[in-house]
Amino acid sequence: MTETVSNSDRGSGQGTGRGTASLGFLGRALGHRSFMIGLLLTGAMIISALVSLVWTPHSPTEIVIAERLKLPSASHWFGTDQFGRDILSMIMAGAQTSIVVGLIAVSLGAVLGVSLGLWAAARRGWTEDVIMRLSDLNLAFPVILIAILLTAGWGPGIINAILALGIYNISVFARQVRGAGIAMWEREFVLAARAAGKGNLAITIEHVLPNIISIIVVQATISFAIAILAEAALSYLGVGSQPPNPSWGRMLSESQSYIFLAPIIAVWPGLAIVLSVLGLNLIGDGLRDLVDPRLARRR
Amino acid sequence: MALLSVSDLTVELQTSRGMAPAVRGVTFDLEKGGTLGVVGESGCGKSVTALAIMGLLPDGARTTGRIELDGADLLALDEEARCRIRGNRIAMIFQEPMTSLNPVHRIGRQIAEPLRLHRGLRGANARDEVLRLLERVGLPDPARRIDAYPHQMSGGQRQRVMIAMALSCAPDILLADEPTTALDVTIQGQILDLINELVDDTGMGLILISHDLGVIGETTENVAVMYGGTVVEHGATDRLFANFAHPYSQGLFAAIPQVGAARTGPLRTIPGTVPELADLPSACSFADRCARATEICWRQAPRMERIGPDQRTACHHHGETAA
Repeated sequence: MTETVSNSDRGSGQGTGRGTASLGFLGRALGHRSFMIGLLLTGAMIISALVSLVWTPHSPTEIVIAERLKLPSASHWFGTDQFGRDILSMIMAGAQTSIVVGLIAVSLGAVLGVSLGLWAAARRGWTEDVIMRLSDLNLAFPVILIAILLTAGWGPGIINAILALGIYNISVFARQVRGAGIAMWEREFVLAARAAGKGNLAITIEHVLPNIISIIVVQATISFAIAILAEAALSYLGVGSQPPNPSWGRMLSESQSYIFLAPIIAVWPGLAIVLSVLGLNLIGDGLRDLVDPRLARRR
Repeated sequence: MALLSVSDLTVELQTSRGMAPAVRGVTFDLEKGGTLGVVGESGCGKSVTALAIMGLLPDGARTTGRIELDGADLLALDEEARCRIRGNRIAMIFQEPMTSLNPVHRIGRQIAEPLRLHRGLRGANARDEVLRLLERVGLPDPARRIDAYPHQMSGGQRQRVMIAMALSCAPDILLADEPTTALDVTIQGQILDLINELVDDTGMGLILISHDLGVIGETTENVAVMYGGTVVEHGATDRLFANFAHPYSQGLFAAIPQVGAARTGPLRTIPGTVPELADLPSACSFADRCARATEICWRQAPRMERIGPDQRTACHHHGETAA
């Protein structure tokens, strides 16, 4: 045997390198500064949401008129709003809303969008045309418009915000997955799998999907960030989560009337939105670098 | 009756310039346990012929003629029935072992796939069979390599894995499309030896596709030389190598560099390039590159003629010596 074993030989460079390379992934992740910052920011959001389930400094819904519009102090770290509610507690509880909306909207979009995208890539022809044109049609309607349409039908509420975002995300995922999927179908190992007698469904699940999962994960983090921003926008417009359920977007909207009296109360929800969206975007960017070492840039 | 009988096979492919004929009236038989080499330049239709036999042509391709396996016309079968034949009765290996394996799955799992699909083997039974196959194709240390990922193996090892996969269901026919082209010369020899050995042991039929006349000459009993989508010369390997009759085959043969021969000039080549599919001349497709071409070559397509025992060729001027 003159053949040698080479661990560095990555062939087409397409190996996502599980197994032996997993340690390398962790090492690279720890060394990727912006990814770690993203992880920290997102971690802070998730932890504050989790903690708020069992404990907040004050009740986020308790109204104490005597304490209204207080500046930050030892008992109210972030101050209080126009009803005397503790802003820190509201921010913590508001993280729950953002995460729930983001999680459900992205899952809904990912499950349906990925399925449709894979189907389009596998079938091509008129199936693909119908799916992609419907997807274009869907993307032509802004999220806000879909949410307002749903609100007109069923009244305002958080479910409508989630649905509107979910429906929008279906198209986002379907387009991404179709493009990446078509590229996979052109690969030789798919031809080899077909030559082994595998059907379209088996090839899609065993060969196409595992090779594009990284793209889907990256898209999910980006879509999550967009969902948080959109939920805030919808709540700001009054078609998202309804009082007294705390929401960053609504806090921002309500603070508007007091912007000259107590500008600080607008800063907190704004900061929460900016930092969590930034965190998720950094994770998405970082993941894109980490799963594809060829694209890695030094930061 | 021949095991595989291809008659008057025509394949048209969709190109940016409309439907173009990639294969035009290809006819050959493969006996049980027989070996056939298909040789020709890139774009001569040899791979398309193989894909037509597998039923893996790209979307929009139009196929006419007959491809019979044990007398049953494969072209008349539906997709599901063809899936049951692929990998089971007819298996195929490809040119690029580096990209023919899925990078995200361990090789053991990939070899087990056809076993599960066609023979219903699962779990430990499948694993034992995979180990046996890996040993059979000469992969060193199969017990450890079975859990390796493709990127941890060399090209030759991966081609052995591909061969193990193709062999897994004991196919009647192995289609090998340039199986050694992407490999180092030393590994090429090993892989060809392995294929020869497996053909002898299992009695399966082999169709070996290559642009390398040397590889074909060493491996197969029969040769079909293809040019411009048709078979221009066909017969027993030793007959043909003793006396190629078609000017294209003569050109191919003359272009094999001889190691040790005195260099008296540049390497021999065939003038011109392979015509694009859509531009194929309607008469003799080789006429514009042929030194012997006369008026009839531009007017009338030559027919396959028997010119001796086990040798047939399609040339108006096969009797004449090379110009």
